[in-house]
Amino acid sequence: MGLLRGFAVTFRQMFQRPVTNQYVIGTGEKAPKPERLHGRHVLNRYEDGMEKCIGCELCAGVCPARCIYVRGADNPEDDPVSPGERYGYVYEINYLRCIHCDLCVEACPTEAITETKLFEFSFTSREDAVYTKDELLVDDDGMPRHMPWEDWRPGEDEHTSAWMRATSPSGSAAFEGRVAWTGELGYGVRSPEAAQADKDAVTVPADDDDHGHDDHDDHDHGGGDH
Amino acid sequence: MAEDTTVDAAPDVVDDGVAVTIDGTEVRARKGELLIDAAERHGVYIPRFCYHERMRPVGMCRMCIVEVDTGRGPSLQPSCMLECTPDMVVDTTSEVTRKAQEGVLEFLLVNHPLDCPVCDKGGECPLQDQTMSNGPGESRYIEQKRHLEKPIPISDLVLLDRERCILCDRCTRFASEVAGDPLIHFLHRGNHTEVNTFPDEPFASYFSGNTVQICPVGALTATSYRFKARPWDLTQTESTCQSCSVGCRVAVQASRNEVLRILGVDVDPVNWGWLCDKGRFDFEAINSDERLAAPLVRQGDELAPAGWAQALRQAADALSGALDSGGPVSIGVLGGARLTNEDAYAWTRFAKGVLGTDNCDAQLGDGLPPEVVLGLPRATIDEVCRPGGTVVVVGPDPKEELPVLFLRLRHAVVEAGATLIEVAPARSGISDYATVTLTHRPGEVAEVVRALVGETGQSSDLGGADASAVGRARALLDQADGDVCVVLGRPSVAESADFVTDAASVLQRALPGARFLSALRRSNVHGALDMGLAPGLLPGRVRLEDSGAEFAEAWGAVPATVGLDAHGMLTAAAEGRLSVLVLLGADPLADFPDRHLAERALATVPTIVASDLFLTESSARAHVVLPAAGFAECEGTTTNLEGRVSVLGQKVTPPGTARSDWMIAAELARLMGHDLGLESPAAIWDEICTLAPSHRGVTTDLLRSTDSDAGVLVPLEREEPAPADVDSTDGVAAEDVAEAAVDQAAADDTLEAQAAEAEGVAAAAEQVAAEEAGELAEEAAADGPVEDGAEEAVASRGPATLRFDGIPAVTLAPRDAYSLRLVATRKLYDQGTGVQQSAQLAPLAPGSVLRLNRYDFERLGVEEGSVVRVASARGALRVPVVVDAGVPRGAAAVYVNQPGLAATSLVDAAAAVTEVRVETGIDS
Ligand code: SF4
Ligand code: SF4
Ligand code: SF4
Ligand code: SF4
Ligand code: FES
Repeated sequence: MGLLRGFAVTFRQMFQRPVTNQYVIGTGEKAPKPERLHGRHVLNRYEDGMEKCIGCELCAGVCPARCIYVRGADNPEDDPVSPGERYGYVYEINYLRCIHCDLCVEACPTEAITETKLFEFSFTSREDAVYTKDELLVDDDGMPRHMPWEDWRPGEDEHTSAWMRATSPSGSAAFEGRVAWTGELGYGVRSPEAAQADKDAVTVPADDDDHGHDDHDDHDHGGGDH
Repeated sequence: MAEDTTVDAAPDVVDDGVAVTIDGTEVRARKGELLIDAAERHGVYIPRFCYHERMRPVGMCRMCIVEVDTGRGPSLQPSCMLECTPDMVVDTTSEVTRKAQEGVLEFLLVNHPLDCPVCDKGGECPLQDQTMSNGPGESRYIEQKRHLEKPIPISDLVLLDRERCILCDRCTRFASEVAGDPLIHFLHRGNHTEVNTFPDEPFASYFSGNTVQICPVGALTATSYRFKARPWDLTQTESTCQSCSVGCRVAVQASRNEVLRILGVDVDPVNWGWLCDKGRFDFEAINSDERLAAPLVRQGDELAPAGWAQALRQAADALSGALDSGGPVSIGVLGGARLTNEDAYAWTRFAKGVLGTDNCDAQLGDGLPPEVVLGLPRATIDEVCRPGGTVVVVGPDPKEELPVLFLRLRHAVVEAGATLIEVAPARSGISDYATVTLTHRPGEVAEVVRALVGETGQSSDLGGADASAVGRARALLDQADGDVCVVLGRPSVAESADFVTDAASVLQRALPGARFLSALRRSNVHGALDMGLAPGLLPGRVRLEDSGAEFAEAWGAVPATVGLDAHGMLTAAAEGRLSVLVLLGADPLADFPDRHLAERALATVPTIVASDLFLTESSARAHVVLPAAGFAECEGTTTNLEGRVSVLGQKVTPPGTARSDWMIAAELARLMGHDLGLESPAAIWDEICTLAPSHRGVTTDLLRSTDSDAGVLVPLEREEPAPADVDSTDGVAAEDVAEAAVDQAAADDTLEAQAAEAEGVAAAAEQVAAEEAGELAEEAAADGPVEDGAEEAVASRGPATLRFDGIPAVTLAPRDAYSLRLVATRKLYDQGTGVQQSAQLAPLAPGSVLRLNRYDFERLGVEEGSVVRVASARGALRVPVVVDAGVPRGAAAVYVNQPGLAATSLVDAAAAVTEVRVETGIDS
């Protein structure tokens, strides 16, 4: 009897609408990504071109995957790389190990490191997987550099993961609506995210959001296995 | 902690303590103990910034305030300024305490910049930590903070960021109280107060690095560590500094296989947490690009990289060839003070057991005979620095050669009422603290010492020392409370060691209870001598002639005859009597007192095999160069000047294929058909504690037990001095004494316990000791009359089987009126590889001028600073001349091993003293 009940479930499912979202839609366009997706990192600059990273190693210290290697150095006085005494002299992230948790972004005191939405990248060698400052640092326009093995589409390089921090440092409600994080790729300030309470009031298609996350995680694992 | 258990386990014993209640628990504090210490000892940590247990409390920061009720109701008081009184009730967690501490922190943070991410202290910063644990969650301060120029160098090694300074007074107190270099001060007043140096007076102290370590914030940082790493990158191991023989305990910190920082570890019997700047900063040499990473083999004029197999084969062939043609006596092994004990043992065993040569010397003709170093009753640093004790320093300038010993001596004199009598060829760094300094003419130290102990009458000429000063010193010696300690070393390499040996004989005779602390400088020279790297010695402080049979049994063979020392070997080499000279980290061209002899020796000897960290001037002339593993790169043990064996830590791998010296010895032996059976440092140590009489019972377990952090004094049976008299001094000193006594007691207990654990071995050792002591007594009786006291002293010191029985007085021809006698002393920073390969330290080697007494200077009739010609029988040099009141009449002083002046090219190692003439008016 139990056996039949079990097969009944299977049978019923065969006629349900599948919930799978096609990631690549018809023409090869990527499906829209959720706002808070964590992709590959960038190292940002200030408006004047100075690097934001001060080589403090907080990101490396917090990284649970131990995939960041940073070394600071004295800023050359005549040609400073970043404002202040110290700059990130070596900066490397090993994408074979990164789990895109964004803790590095949380830890960074200068918003130097943020994550883009790009996760469509795969490597054919270990060296390619270890991004150094040459790859991570944004270009003169404050935009991420595009590596040959990365699949960038127009407009994809506008948002970074740090946006979530725009409203709630440490998740404290007291900071709702205040800009505490600039949140742009490169530089610039974004307006704050709507206060959590307001957002909750609006009926957000919540499962959609969650979905995006799952999707992202799956694909990321795929990337890591290369 | 050890202290803790002593007190808790035996409350009755410490019953002169007082009962205080801390956070509701009644505890026993020691009499006069500061509340902050008593609380910490009982597990309550009171936050603090300015208080440091090795310095006087000042109550600057107020962070340690707690609510204290001494019977008149609770009030807030700084616990670092408050001695425990009976029935004191303390609340370290009350609301009032908490608010007060939060207030203090909020005020401290008013002007403290938010530099944490770029600050070298970030991550290990007491200000960060205590703000998290005891501070207010948020700052209410929104105004501009104080701004000052970001880091300013206050010396070549230390940077100061005044914005970060919280004015705790630690660095300034250290400089004036501990180092005696009051070069860093508080300037200005009120809100403008800042720490700084005076414009023309950099913080040029040999101890400046300690301020970086004790600064509770990142205001003082070290140039060598600047932005190199963050605390969470570092891993560390404990080790013992190998830059001199004091043997300070250190924490070696490294990241990514690179040593980045050395910190002092507070061990009671040795360094109290302090380090000198050489020991702290010369780690850069470990990472130097110049390090030898592969063996080199000579091809014509060039040294070409080679594989180990080829290099070792070539060395082994040379050694076999020498054995065949000239026999064992045609091989010499020079050096070994850089080695670990295990390395030194392996080399002794290889040289004496396999090669059969006794031509071994770990010293380079600039030390003292081993029987003087090992055979006199030995003192510990604590004994030498006993509060209220009397010390005679006959030796080199401790500040230049043994810096942390200088700190301990200075502390003994300044804070603990010790009396220091210095006998030296010129005034030194310790002269300012000596109760009396007797300067003697080179070669006449024994005359002064004779006069000092009253062996000669008031003759008119006391070796150049001032008669009234000698009188005063004599009176001090007569009044000495308890036994006198002597710091004994070789003050100047331009005079023979015989004079100091003679002086030691005089002191030993006249002061029967006296103990001696060797002031030989090189890192593990005492360990190398213990391991038998000296002519006529075998491991364990025994003579070849006495214990040869036992070692022959264990090793298969020992040399038939007593061999040559460094001077003898170099002479033999220069005369063509040596076929192979092995340099174990030795650079005779730089370090042997007689450069001409060293030159001739290295030029003549057919084969030189060098094991070294760098291609030094000498190893560059070798035929086979083997790269060795150095400090922080190998495991093993080391022995400091007290005879204290401590464990070295390995933190990084040696460069390239460099390897430990014991491996080189074992490999060479294997290639020559002998299996030494030595597999690892631990196995070698096991063999040492079985074979070496003085090291019996000093097992690896004992060395590695947590109670032996400071090291283990060998031999184990050595008696410790009676605890110091607590009431004899007052104030801070009394506390120190009390603490020291308790610590000492604790240390004794544990040592005894350990010794008892090692029963079997120890018992055997005792037996051997007794037998050998008996033998010695007989031998001594046969040798001639010996003072009873001296004999007793030696016999009671356990199985130190080697003993020194004094030498007949050495005489010296009078100086002719036209010559001056040369005094050649060392500076801390010199041309040694440790300093020269450290970018920060290399420029600090001061170079040398010729220093003369005003009287002798004026006879020259030249301007100060003008270049003169100094000529000895050996050679001549051109050097600027200056007046130095600290140099006695008839002497001319220079520094050796300094850039720009090859002072040793004036010295003839065979001559008793080096007479020089100073000539002017030569322009070329
Ligand atoms: S996202 Fe997470 S795993 Fe990746 S580098 Fe940052 S901290 Fe490390
Ligand atoms: S990215 Fe940010 S956290 Fe990482 S080293 Fe640079 S400044 Fe520090
Ligand atoms: S520099 Fe450091 S040690 Fe010196 S007073 Fe300031 S905070 Fe204290
Ligand atoms: S005194 Fe000697 S052992 Fe101590 S830190 Fe200095 S060099 Fe090292
Ligand atoms: S620690 Fe007591 S006042 Fe600073």
